[in-house]
Amino acid sequence: MKPKFLTLKQIFITACCISILYAPLSAIAETGSALKNDNLRAEPYADAKLAGDLSRGESLEIIKKQGAWLQVKTKKNTGWVRLLSVKRGAASSSNQTSGALAVASGRAGTGQVVSTTGVRGLSEQELKAAKFNEAEIKTLESYTLSAEQGKQFAKAGNLETINFANLTSSESTAK
Amino acid sequence: MNLVTIKSTRSNLLISTLLASLLGLLSLQSAAFDLKGALKDAVEKELAPKPESTQANANKDGNTTTNQPAFNWKNPSKEEEIALGREIAGNLLGAAPLVKDAALQKYVNSVGRWVASQSERPDLPWRFGVIESDDLNAFAAPGGYIMLTKGLYRKLSNEAQLAGVLGHEIAHIVEKHQLRVLQKQQLLNIGAGFLSDKYAKDNQLVSKAIGSGAEISARSLDKTAEYEADRLGLSYATRAGYEPYGLADVLQTIGQTNKEDNSIALLFKTHPHPDERLAALSDAAGIRLDAVKEGKTLENRFYQLKK
Repeated sequence: MKPKFLTLKQIFITACCISILYAPLSAIAETGSALKNDNLRAEPYADAKLAGDLSRGESLEIIKKQGAWLQVKTKKNTGWVRLLSVKRGAASSSNQTSGALAVASGRAGTGQVVSTTGVRGLSEQELKAAKFNEAEIKTLESYTLSAEQGKQFAKAGNLETINFANLTSSESTAK
Repeated sequence: MNLVTIKSTRSNLLISTLLASLLGLLSLQSAAFDLKGALKDAVEKELAPKPESTQANANKDGNTTTNQPAFNWKNPSKEEEIALGREIAGNLLGAAPLVKDAALQKYVNSVGRWVASQSERPDLPWRFGVIESDDLNAFAAPGGYIMLTKGLYRKLSNEAQLAGVLGHEIAHIVEKHQLRVLQKQQLLNIGAGFLSDKYAKDNQLVSKAIGSGAEISARSLDKTAEYEADRLGLSYATRAGYEPYGLADVLQTIGQTNKEDNSIALLFKTHPHPDERLAALSDAAGIRLDAVKEGKTLENRFYQLKK
């Protein structure tokens, strides 16, 4: 009787430890919702087998990202959807950047630094009242770079241009 | 040729006068912005993009009353566009100065210049600045002046996101969205006789023409202009070699900011909700981004703000 009780207690403690250990990980599993009606695919490809569908506003859990795709879990299904079809964060959001987005961006824990030293507001009224500042505009202009300097900067970051025609509003039919 | 020019000037004056009398019932403020129906159409017709070759004639049009070159509101030259933008940007800097961090400003100019080189107007003298404000916002003024707040910069975590934000503002300038709002306002003001003779004589002094100051750079544009700037901004950043989702990332972040937060009030007031912008971007992108696989985010060289 007593040994059995201890065992249960041990299990309980172990379980607690595990849940504490894994709590930060499970917190990363980000919630989101569908921005539009879309299909779920079994794999992250446009021609992959259908794995269900999403309806606008439906809440989901984001499992992982791969290229242009997110693997998501809904109440009914798990599958891949283009990442632009998903709004990250809970439906009624707090004012904090939350979940994996914050973790991935290295912002988790930094908090919001509020510094108001020398800062005037940018409300409409304040913008209307603003006076021209010649010294500041000259400073701004002193930073102007040439196209060639831009190119050198891109080269330093191994950025390579690709062919990509401007998106137009009429391509919504392509799915 | 001259005859034709004069005739067209007269017909413009006639249209302006007609507009003026119709506008008589509206207040000065609403005259500029609440353009409705026929009024709006008439002005838009006046401002329809014209081929470059007509520019020389158009310049003469503006000079019939004085010997000095007046600001050509109907068809401003590139130089006039830059002068106008400088005035607006200078006013904005009067409200919030540049962050005193030359390395930051140089970095933002490097990214911006590279993205602008992928636009349809690579020849403008593009300049970028981060300004002292905790608000989340970015501004574009005609001729290549772009500013974003320190508050918005703080929300970014990689270079692709910065490229996306700057791409959106670059697109506003490429498409002359703000310039057209100003043109409409000015042509209506001139037509409505709001400008005194003295004022009209000085009208090459842009500072007087934009009496409302820096507020123009934050004024609401048509929703369609914002969606267009999103699509083009994404396109420029993608062509520049960045991961295409930078702008979308930032819209996600903005969408998660409390709407009641003062730092975002103006942005929400002047732009469609981030969710609508994301959905529109998603529709426009369709399958186009599936093939873009080599885009870079470059968080490793993203400039970190000094504390």
